Formats: sequence, structure tokens, C-alpha cells
Amino acid sequence: MDRMSSLQKFFFALAIAIILVFVLAPYLWMVSSSFKSTLEIQSMRPTWIPQTFTFQNYVEMNRIVPIMRYFKNSLIISGGAMILTIIIGVLAAYGISRFNFKGRTFYTMLLFSTQMLPGVMFLIPYFVIFNVIRNTFGIPMVDTYHGLILTYTQFALPFSILMLRNYLDSVPRDIDEQAMIDGCNRAGALFRVILPLAKPGIAAMGIYAFIMGWNEILFATVLTSTKTRTIALGLLNYITKHTAAWGSMMAACIITSIPIFVLFTLGQKHIVSGLVSGATKG
Amino acid sequence: MKKYKSIAYLFILPAVLAMIFVHILPMIWGIMISFRDLNLYTIGDWTQARFVGFDNYIKAFQDATIASRYWLSVKNIVFFSAVTIIIGTIIALGVALLLNRKFPGRTLIRGIILVPFITPDSVVFNFWRFIFQNRIGILNEMLLRMGAIGERVMWLVGDNAMWSVIIAAIWKGWPFGALVFLAGLQTIPDNLYDAAKIDGASHWQCFRYITWAYIRPVLATLTMMNILWNFNAYNQFRVLFGEIQSRGTEVPATLIMTQAFSHFKYGLGSALSVIWMLVLLSITILYLYFFRKRSEE
Repeated sequence: MDRMSSLQKFFFALAIAIILVFVLAPYLWMVSSSFKSTLEIQSMRPTWIPQTFTFQNYVEMNRIVPIMRYFKNSLIISGGAMILTIIIGVLAAYGISRFNFKGRTFYTMLLFSTQMLPGVMFLIPYFVIFNVIRNTFGIPMVDTYHGLILTYTQFALPFSILMLRNYLDSVPRDIDEQAMIDGCNRAGALFRVILPLAKPGIAAMGIYAFIMGWNEILFATVLTSTKTRTIALGLLNYITKHTAAWGSMMAACIITSIPIFVLFTLGQKHIVSGLVSGATKG
Repeated sequence: MKKYKSIAYLFILPAVLAMIFVHILPMIWGIMISFRDLNLYTIGDWTQARFVGFDNYIKAFQDATIASRYWLSVKNIVFFSAVTIIIGTIIALGVALLLNRKFPGRTLIRGIILVPFITPDSVVFNFWRFIFQNRIGILNEMLLRMGAIGERVMWLVGDNAMWSVIIAAIWKGWPFGALVFLAGLQTIPDNLYDAAKIDGASHWQCFRYITWAYIRPVLATLTMMNILWNFNAYNQFRVLFGEIQSRGTEVPATLIMTQAFSHFKYGLGSALSVIWMLVLLSITILYLYFFRKRSEE
């Protein structure tokens, strides 16, 4: 890289600063508003920094909307989807990565193509099928944890498989063969040798599935109601026809974001490379 | 290795079963529903719904209210996607080129620009909704203080509504593009530039003949994915404007949702979504056709 003159350096720093302001300003507004009093939020002269700091919004947040219950619901649903995605995904990704079976390319293409289908197209049949299951087998599906866990697994699974496949491809095949020479069978090679090596990839896949479930809105509007409402949808309840509890909503937004930020930071490297390779190798 | 091949099917079996049950069957089911008059009374037992042939599809193209609203929603989403993708891509490419230099704190800044991308949709569009508030929002306040506007703007209603959702969507969407471009830029070997410099190439020539050559295929794939994602946009509109969309911000996903789950016309909703899927499918096929052809040349 060639050396920059000080003028160039100045403009470079300026450009970086503009980007940072553009990205971070909305967050500053969110965080500062969550510490403002209702009176200050309703003021016609909003400021970036609260004039008086208060934790009132964090105290009231759960009183206006049962956000902690929604938090728990989302934790169960996203966690469930994460576990299910890992179990099914690990097997499938290993299969695609290690065997050159008939139909592999077709199957991989199929996984990719599910990405383009409109969500609404699945939502109506899901609603109908959930009704059919309830009427035929007596198993309730709408507004249940298992109904939503299954739904969110279907979303996360195709891309998760592709992500983990890319990761497994980077683990040399020799290792499998060595393990089998040493007396492991296929399953043994997978569970005793490859899985421990693929831990970061599996973690990234699980985190991806969790985030998908945590953020989902479309299916949750129809397939959840009072019992299993998720946090992404619950956030909308702070604004009704009569009231707008912006302060509490901003506090709840922060609470909603924290698990995602933590998980993403933990698995960042592999999620990012997984997403990028998904987008570029597609 | 050959004798192990059949075992591969055992490994992918759960995923294939899952796919059949959660993707393929519902898809077929959705197509079947689209030929029926499925409504609130028949939703309990869909087989009781009257078979109406192509009626739902004909409605989508000819019914006085549905056809015009569907067409409007298509126009809206095309406008929304075009502006969001073009501006978002320009920002993404610019930032990627900037961050591709080596400077202290680069890793940190690259981490920071990712934050909008990972923040949940619901959170992002809720705080933008707050930012856009007419009386108490910070955007109007800032613009007033800078003297850019004379009086407070109504961002979320009327003609401005579409621009508000575009601004918020660009803000949320560009970091992913920047990430993909950065990954593309990092595959360019440094010595290519060195060789070009020795041959006396200008900065512009370096960009045009080296950087651009590496960026172009990435740009094509990224744009394709962006088109598919944006054409299916729902969350942005739902969170910013609420359950009922005005004419200016009605898009296919919101229209289908209202028809199916507020008006209980499940059959019609299915037909509308099948049509929309066919549109997306055609775009994908066209893309594959042209892109494959170009990469073979």
C-alpha cells in the first residue's frame, strides 16, 4: 500500500468518521432515549444526551408490555430451533462434505433455492397444515413452542447446512480416513474426531439458527398469540392507538439486542465467513 | 471409498425428510389451496373449501380492486428495491474500498460497521420509527437546526413514507454488501498492483482493470441476492407503518398478509404468493442463464 500524504490522511480519517457517525448515531439515540423521562421524550426539542438520567423506562418496560415473558418465549423457541438445526444440520453437512453421492449437486442447489422463496408463500400452507394436524391428531400447533420451533428450524436449516459444509470442507479428509484406519466406523469418525475439530463451525451454525429465530417477525404474527408471542413481535406492542411508550420501547429494544450482540461477538468470525461464502459461492 | 457411498444417504436423510415436510409439501399444499375458495368458514377443514379453478389467479389480474392493488404493490416494491439496492451498493463498495487499506483500528471499525446488519429488524425499524417522528423525532430536530428544512416534515405518512423506509432499509442493508465486497477485495493478490505500477498504470487504470475485474462477479451475485431479499421485504413495512399499509407503502408481502389473515381469503392469498414466487423464479433463472453464459465465455 502506498504512503498517503497528510492531506490524504485527513480526508481518509474524515471519511471514516462520517461512516462511524452514520452507523452509530441511531444507536446513540436509542440508548439515550431509554434513559430519558417520559416528559423529556415528549419534548419538542429532543436532545442527544438526556438532561436528567432515569432508569424509569427499565422499571416500567415490563409493566406496559410483558416483555420478559416474550423474552423467555423467544429464548425457548430460538434455543429449540438451534438444537434441532444442529442435530439435523451436522449430519447433512457431513454427508454433503464427505461423500460424492448421486444427487449431491441437485440437493445442494435445492438448499440454495429455498433462500429465494417468499416467506408468505409458506405461511398460508403452514397455517392450514397446523389446523389439519390439530383437527386430525388433536395436537395443537398454532401458538405452541413446538410449532414455532419446527417452523424456525426450516428457515435456518438450508443455509446452516451450507455454512457448515464450507467449514467441514476445510477439515482435511485424511483425518476421517486415519480415524477409520485406527478402528473407528463412519459414525465414530464423525462424532469422535470431526465434531471436536468442527466445534467453531457448529457453534456458528447454532448461533445463526438462534439469531434467525430471535429476529423473525412474519411467521410469528400468525403462528403465535398470547402464549408464545416472541420478543421481536412483542416490541411492537409499546405503540398502540392511544399511547406511545417510546422510552420503554427503547429500553426493551436494548434488552432484545443484547443476546444477539453477545452471541454474534462469540461466533463472529465463522458466521461472517459463512455468510459471505454463502453469498459469493452461491 | 466407494462402498461407503450409500451411507451418505443416511447422513442426509433427516435433512431431506425435514425438507420434504417443511418445504416441498407445504409448497404443493400452497399451490392446491390457491385453486380453492378457502376462507374463515372452511379453514378448519380445507377439503371442504370449494374448488374454483383459476378464479383466484384471474382475480389477481382482473378483479377491480385486487388487480390494481396487486399491480401497485409490485410497482412499490420494484421502486423500493431499486433505490435501496443501488444506493446501498454504492455505499457498500465505497466503504469496502476505504477499509481495504491498512490502518490502525481497522478491525475495530470493520466490527462496528457490522452492527446494523446484526441488530434485529424489529429493533432497527422501531428506533427508526422513533427517529422519524414528526414532533419528537431527532431527525426533524437535526434538520431544523441545520436549516435544511423550514418546518417539521411528516416522514411516516404520505409521499415521504416510501423514502423513510428506503432510508432505514439502506442503513440496515449496506453493511452486508460492504462485507461481501471486502471479502472479494481481499482475494486480489497485491503483486498484481505492483506489476501494474511498474508498467506505468494510473490509479484509475488499476481500479478499472484489476479491482473491477475481481469485484464484478461478486457484485452480480450480491445484487441477485439483494433483489430476492428486497422483493420479499415485509418486516421493514410492518414495523415502520403498522399492520395496515397505505397505498404508497403497500408491497406484495403486506398485501398477501392482509388478504389472507385480515380478510381471511386464504385461497386468494395463496394465488398471489404463487404468482410472486413465479416472478422471483423467472428472475433467478434469467440471472443464472446470463451469468453462467458470461462466466463460460
